[in-house]
This record gives sequence, C-alpha cells and structure tokens, in this order.
Amino acid sequence: MAAVHDHDVAHAHDHHPSGMMRWMMTTNHKDIGTMYLWFSFIMFLTGGVMALTIRAELFQPGLQIVNPEFFNQLTTMHGLIMIFGAIMPAFVGFANWQIPMMIGAPDMAFARMNNWSFWLLPPAALLLLSSFFVPGGAPAGGWTIYPPLSVQMGMGMDMAIFAIHIMGASSIMGSINIITTILNMRAPGMTLMKMPMFVWTWLITAYLLVLVMPVLAGAVTMLLTDRNFGTNFFNAAGGGDPVMFQHIFWFFGHPEVYIMILPAFGIVSEVIPTFARKPLFGYSSMVYATASIAILSCIVWAHHMFTAGMPVTGQLFFMYATMLIAVPTGVKVFNWTATMWRGSMTFETPMLFAIGFIFLFTLGGFSGVICAVVPIDIQVQDTYYVIAHFHYVLVSGALFGIFSGAYYWLPKWTGHMYDETLGKVHFWLTMIFFNLTFFVQHFLGLAGMPRRIPDYALQFADFNMISSIGAFGFGLSQLLFLYVVLKCIRGGAKAPAKTWEGGKTLEWTLPSPAPYHSFETPPVVR
Amino acid sequence: MTSAEKNKKATFWQIAKAVSWAFFGVRKQSDLDMDASNLTPKQVIIGGLIGATLFVLTLILLVKVVTN
Repeated sequence: MAAVHDHDVAHAHDHHPSGMMRWMMTTNHKDIGTMYLWFSFIMFLTGGVMALTIRAELFQPGLQIVNPEFFNQLTTMHGLIMIFGAIMPAFVGFANWQIPMMIGAPDMAFARMNNWSFWLLPPAALLLLSSFFVPGGAPAGGWTIYPPLSVQMGMGMDMAIFAIHIMGASSIMGSINIITTILNMRAPGMTLMKMPMFVWTWLITAYLLVLVMPVLAGAVTMLLTDRNFGTNFFNAAGGGDPVMFQHIFWFFGHPEVYIMILPAFGIVSEVIPTFARKPLFGYSSMVYATASIAILSCIVWAHHMFTAGMPVTGQLFFMYATMLIAVPTGVKVFNWTATMWRGSMTFETPMLFAIGFIFLFTLGGFSGVICAVVPIDIQVQDTYYVIAHFHYVLVSGALFGIFSGAYYWLPKWTGHMYDETLGKVHFWLTMIFFNLTFFVQHFLGLAGMPRRIPDYALQFADFNMISSIGAFGFGLSQLLFLYVVLKCIRGGAKAPAKTWEGGKTLEWTLPSPAPYHSFETPPVVR
Repeated sequence: MTSAEKNKKATFWQIAKAVSWAFFGVRKQSDLDMDASNLTPKQVIIGGLIGATLFVLTLILLVKVVTN
C-alpha cells in the first residue's frame, strides 16, 4: 500500500514547470534554498564591490577616486546590502535546504509562502540599489539611518525604507515558516532534544526575527511619516526625540547581530563533530546557551549608544548585561573546543573554516567585551576599532560559518565533490587577507581614526594601505569560491550519500544529490 | 531515572532550576532529559520571562548599589 502511494506521489510531482518558470513558480524547498543562496552571493559581490571602492579610496590619504558624498553612500549601502542582502538570505537559504532534510520532513510547512518570501527579495534589492540613481543618491547617513540625517535626505531614503519594509516582511514570513516546520513536521521519534544543533539555532533565530523585525518596521515607518507626512517622532524642533530612534533601532539592531551569528553557530556545531568524529560536547548546554544568548541579546541594546547621552545608571546596566553575554558565548566556544579534544580530526575545507570561525569569532567576541566597557567605548565609539570588532564577528563569524556550511553540504546539494585543494586555497587566502584587512583596523581605531570618512590624517596612512591591500586580496579570493562552486555543480567525483564519514544527521541518509522530493515517507528516529 | 520520576509534574523549583541553568548556558544531560520529559514549553517560556525580569531587576539593584 505504501509503495503504491509513493509511486503515485512521485508521478504526480514529475510534471513541474521547466526553464525560468520552474524558478518563478517553485514551491520546492531545495529550489527556493538554491535561489536564496545565489541571491545572497550576488548581493555579497555587490556589497563587496562597494567595500573595495571604499578601500581603494582609503588606500592613500586625500581624495582620489570618489567624492565624499558618494563615499558616504557606499559605506551606508555596503552595510545594508551585506546585512539584509547577503548574510541573512544566505542563512535562510541554508535553512530551506537543510531544515526539512535534517528533521525528516518532505518540505517547508508553507511551501507557497516560501516562494513569496524569496521573490520579495529581488524587487527589494532593486529598489535599494536603484536609489543610487535618483536625485540626492542613495542613503548616506550610515546603515543605522539615524535621524536627523535620515529625515533630511533625498528620495533615496524613502526607497531604502520601502526596501527594508519588504525585506522585513520576507524575513518574518520566512521565520514563521521555519518555526512551523520545525515544531510540526519533525520525523516520528525526533523530539526537540534530538534535533540537530543547526535546527535548534535556527528555531531560536526565527523567534528573534519575529520579535524584532516588526520593531524595525515601526522605526522606519516613523521615519517615513516624519519625512513625508509632517509627524515629529524624531524631530526635536517639533517635540520629538532623535535619540528615541536610536533606542528603537537598536532594540532591533542588537538581536539582529545574534540573528546573523546564531545560524553560523549551528553550522559550526554540525561541522566540528563530523570532522572530529565525536558527538557534540555538551549538546544540552549548547541548546541552553543559545536560548540564553537570545534572551540576553534583547536587554543590551543601549551599549551601542553610550555616547548618545544616558544616565550613568543606564550605562552601568547595559555594560553589565553586555559583559554577561560573554558567559554563554564562552560556554559555546569551550564546547566546540572540547568536541575537538582527542577527536580523530581531519581538516577538510568545512573544518578549516569552522576552526577559523572559532579562532577569529572569539577574537571578535573579546573586542566586543572591550567595547562593552563604558569608559573604553567612549574612546573608541565611531572609530575603526568598532569596524574591526564587528567585521571579526560578521565576516570571520557569520561569513566563515556560511563558507563552512557551503563546503560541507555542497556534495549533498550537487552530487559532486568540490575541489578540495582549491577549497583549502580559498580558505587560506581568505584567512590571511581577512586578517590583513581587519586586524590593522584595531590599531587605526585605537589611534583615533574615525569611521565613515573618505580622507584621513597622515599618521593613519600605513595601516590603511595594508588594510586596502588585504581587502583586494580578500575580495579576489571570493572569486575562487565562485569558481569552486561552479566547478562542483558542473561535475567532479561522485559524492556518496554519506559524504563525510562522521556525518550523523538525517540528510546523509539521502542519496547525493538529494532527490527533488525527499522524505515523502518520514524516517523513524530512534 | 525511574519512569515515575520521569513523568511526574514539574514543580516550580524544577522550572526555576532549569531556567537558571539556561541563563548560565550549561546543563547536565540527565537533568536535561528530566526537563525534556517533565516541563512543557509554556512553563519554560513563562519561567524564562520571569527569570529575565528577575535578572533585569537584579542588575538594576546592583547598579543602584554601585552608584550610591
């Protein structure tokens, strides 16, 4: 009976549209995951080109390549695009591909909404990018779009606001889909506490997204009405308060940081046990630490605004709360290290990126604790020290997590092994050039170089030159990643179902490439 | 752990303990198994909210003590 049923289902699903329509109309989690990943890679290159233009301008003191107004547009758009266009959609792409396969579900819970969540993104990105071509240009007040600058700018700002609205709606729908899928569609026997860590981290991330994206939508809507409909939420002259925007923005913005890092924690927590050939050390602690980080992330927002004017009691509260986040984060770092301890480790590309992640993310975490100390933060606020800190968290944290996951699951997605040698070359180039770019920015920041400036004093020249050389090396190295991925899609050694000896999660029970429809009959987890 | 121990209803103390350990981010496997079988998500969420409120109040108290 079951066999007949399986055959019918397979037959019914064979007739899906082909060509462009396949991608436009698809409700398949794998297709949608693929589109998310390609979209995020295109946005990564777009934001990357902006970063390289910034670094080219900063190669030497003086103004060489772009004018200051355009420079400010580049820094703003680089931030917005990398956050909303590259990192977040990349993780949703991973969620789409992996969550159903890892929990033994046939697809996402709301397959059509899934299609819509994705297809909202390209128009939003176009809206955001086309703001460069309208009078006044793109938003230029920094990715945090603080008033009063954001109230005064041209129509590019309105376009960015609408783009943020659309991307926020996409994120909320994606999150509801992920939560519903995880809570309702797990295979029989897979209790919450048997779920893979990647699924756990995404469940908690999705709750965070549902909590904070509406807050961002509220903040930008108030900006929109201040700009166009005569309200004065943030206009001091009309009785409003520009600092209120900062509070509302960072109530979204700080959990957002964790939204971008928790799924990377999940990926690393899958990769390290696989290549250390040991179960994840302290699985339960990992779940609890993730929950703890998520809760704490909601009560620390004002550490971004220590210099905005705040009573000393407020400064102390947010300083203490921020420093306490280091505890559960430390628990995670120790657990990953303990997982590797006395394991039979091998160092394939995913593992290299995962170890690079632990090493460099911890560095970024430490500089975060330093920034949490109010007297120090007042010194380094808006300097390159902060730029160095958050790039250590978001590039060697989130992005390294993405690379690790991409190499880890590429064989499952494409059915071919990627070129291991080129993968390793990609890792080492990325690692070296990343540190060359960003480590020196700590020194620049401590020496007092402000962020978001197109020109600088002569004493900053040498480190800026080193940083720019690193940035170009880093950017070009990512083309190698593109080549490795394309080569892997086109061919290569056939990947076995269980690509990695130590892979224990359900996706490794499926053939490689994973069939278009998987787990139509749920597996039983014991 | 006996099956009777496994399925008994969670006490307030047990919820408080689970939430406190969650704030620290560490939990023993045997205790986790007990939490997983005895606690409902609703209890954990309400416990977490109460825990977060207590945590914030403790920090405020600490800040008051330091600034006085």
